[in-house]
Amino acid sequence: MNTMDKRPNFFVREIPFIVLLVFWVIYAGIEIIRSRFDLLTSIIPTGLFIIAYILVRLISKEWKGGG
Amino acid sequence: MDTFLALELIALALTGLLIWHSAYTRGAVFTWMFFLGGAFLGLIRENVVSQVAALNLYSYNPATFHLWVGAAPLILMVFWSYTIYLALTFSEVIVRGNLIGGKRRVWVILLSMVFMASYACLNEAFASIYPMVLWKFKPALTVWGGTPAMVLWGYAGMALIFLLTLLIVYRLRMRTIYRLIIFCASVIVMIPLHLLWIAIFRLATSAIG
Repeated sequence: MNTMDKRPNFFVREIPFIVLLVFWVIYAGIEIIRSRFDLLTSIIPTGLFIIAYILVRLISKEWKGGG
Repeated sequence: MDTFLALELIALALTGLLIWHSAYTRGAVFTWMFFLGGAFLGLIRENVVSQVAALNLYSYNPATFHLWVGAAPLILMVFWSYTIYLALTFSEVIVRGNLIGGKRRVWVILLSMVFMASYACLNEAFASIYPMVLWKFKPALTVWGGTPAMVLWGYAGMALIFLLTLLIVYRLRMRTIYRLIIFCASVIVMIPLHLLWIAIFRLATSAIG
């Protein structure tokens, strides 16, 4: 539901992706540092969403040419 | 600065970015409803859960959080809205759907629920380190050093209840301010529904314990 006449630039459009990536890196990083790292159950599930998102963007060529 | 205080401030700042994204791409009405409603939901639900002993769920660790609103950490005012917003946006992109617009709506909601359960995996493993939450009961199924497995179910249910309520109220044919008020007020329905959702899981798994 894009209410804008003008398409948002790359940074604005990808804010949710950037935010999740930041959370994911911080959480995974602290879990590794505190030795509570659990690849299968804590890191992979959200990681799969990140990969799926990237693949969809690449397949649809929305990340080609920027913005 | 304390590491956890820094994390609380980072989460608030990142939520600000999501609000900006929402206002820019989805419009002011959606953004007000989503994030103000989410704030009410977080504020009221987490205070109720923390303070009503009869629910026998959990309270927040006062040694971990720095910023509070009543018995709930301030961060919980944005937690549900930012996680569900991430779930909604990722799901819409992945299935090429649109919740409000009606495109592949069922798939968007279902994938949002899966996203929330996945996010619960990440978040609860992280929460168990400090720990953020003090559990009041001994769950039948646990993960990550005592975290009840019901949290995965609980996160998914919150996305379902929040998004369906938002969709219903957003589509009402009335002035924006009334829709905003109705959605914020609807947390008094969403909270018992979500507690019922959790109770179903606890009941179903109680036999295991």
